[in-house]
Amino acid sequence: MRFIRLSLAQALYNLRAYLRSARTVVLGVVMPVGLLVILSWVFAHQGQIAVAAGYQMSAIAFYAGGLTAYGLMLGTFTGVMVAVVGAREAGWLKRFRAAPVPPGSYLAGQILFNVLISLGLVVVMMTIATLVYDLHLRAAALSAIFAYTLLGVFCFTAVALAITRLITTPEMGSSVGPFVAITLSFTSGVFLPPDLMPHWLVDVSNYLPLEPLAQSMQSVLASSAGTGYQYRTFVVLGVWGVVSFVVARLSFKWQPLRR
Amino acid sequence: MTNVIEVTGLTKRFGRLIAVDDVSFVVRSGEIFGLLGENGAGKTTTIEILEGFQKPDQGSATVLGVNPVHAHRHWRDRIGLVLQESDFDPLHTVNETLALFASFFTNPRDVTETLELVGLADRADERIGRLSGGQKRRIDVALGIIGHPDLLFLDEPTTGFDPVARREFWGVIEGLREQGTSIVLTTHYMEEAERLCDRLAIMSKGQIVAEGTSSALISALGATTIRFELPYGVDQSTLCTICKVNFAVRDNVAAVLLGDDVQDVLMRLLTWSQSTGQTLVGLEVVRPTLNDVFLGATGAEP
Repeated sequence: MRFIRLSLAQALYNLRAYLRSARTVVLGVVMPVGLLVILSWVFAHQGQIAVAAGYQMSAIAFYAGGLTAYGLMLGTFTGVMVAVVGAREAGWLKRFRAAPVPPGSYLAGQILFNVLISLGLVVVMMTIATLVYDLHLRAAALSAIFAYTLLGVFCFTAVALAITRLITTPEMGSSVGPFVAITLSFTSGVFLPPDLMPHWLVDVSNYLPLEPLAQSMQSVLASSAGTGYQYRTFVVLGVWGVVSFVVARLSFKWQPLRR
Repeated sequence: MTNVIEVTGLTKRFGRLIAVDDVSFVVRSGEIFGLLGENGAGKTTTIEILEGFQKPDQGSATVLGVNPVHAHRHWRDRIGLVLQESDFDPLHTVNETLALFASFFTNPRDVTETLELVGLADRADERIGRLSGGQKRRIDVALGIIGHPDLLFLDEPTTGFDPVARREFWGVIEGLREQGTSIVLTTHYMEEAERLCDRLAIMSKGQIVAEGTSSALISALGATTIRFELPYGVDQSTLCTICKVNFAVRDNVAAVLLGDDVQDVLMRLLTWSQSTGQTLVGLEVVRPTLNDVFLGATGAEP
């Protein structure tokens, strides 16, 4: 009970700063929404996008699904890295570690906060896709999107934590995060259909976290029945998440790296 | 009087460097204990062992009756930390940050009361990003004491303060002592240590080289210091021959610590000055300060 209260208090504390910062809101919500508007407009004449040989989906399902996954990664991966490195270098984590609180409540607070902002992103993206671009959003598809969102936040939080040991300043985190997200987005069928990419690149991306997440969100929005959970997505993101948590557990520093 | 900290034979190595070398001391309940030393003398490592952030290689440390390595929640509830360098999320207000941190403790101080103690009551609703460096340091102190700690660690708390802010801060620390908080303080400033610390230890190269009250350390050194600017064209050895004592010269100031022979030395110095027409600019005959103790013990400026 106390653990939940502590985690929630920290999540809301982070949320308040998030809502006060133009930079994070632009990065986390305005940018994915802007891309959705631009790309849907550019490709509106196509109606259908060829995702793979003999498989097409509507442009709006492709972009709403892909850009939601991309926005989730951009926000969570960058956000956790910047927040944790910033708190560590500012001495907040050291102070937190010395306080009479379970250390895990910091992590739980971060996950909870990122779940909240990611669900916010999902709601905004799905609303615009439905109202403006006539996406037919089924309840089952929406529940699947929520499930994938939780999976994605878990995975990208873990990956971000695992590399905080290499990131010495929050500024470094805020450039590494978007760089990785944008690079992955091109190989993961977010902006361009994977069909246009070299096959080997697509094969590699299949084992990186963004491609399965984007592809699952796209196909559930495109399909006409069921939740269509993809086993592969849970395995790939789950393995990335668990392995990253183990790495984070072994390498995590509560004290500032710079002295 | 009970001891809040007991340290015996504490040793910590980082690779080949011995950061803390067989250090022993006690801190008594209700006192301000100072840990002085140059950068790299081992102060911060010692404190981090006491806070539970580092494991000693040898020796033992007992803090509030517990080995900090086995720290538990109730122990953490009783200690407070003021860090050497820290920063805060600029987007939160002072109040919000303190309220969150207060919620971590079992028996926290009231936020408003804490802000009054550190002199930030009128900035409670200000975003931290709008505060000056000195005001941010006060938040640091506020976070250190918000849990009502019995023992407070202050790691160079006034670095970067202007003289006025430093004096105000000393008042805050003395107020905490009056309320019964035991305090461990590291500092670069001898004036600060002399004013605040009931007892202190000077560390150099990982070892404690002097320990006691500042007045005891000072009187152990000698009764009087003579100081003046070295006149142009006069060298150290000439001066020593004339006065028959060993003057130390630093930054063109000659200084010597004396016991009973102060009159003799002064007489020789003044007679020489009068007969040669050399003026002794800035001549002082004063009680030695903690700074002289520090120089004698470590052979360096703090």
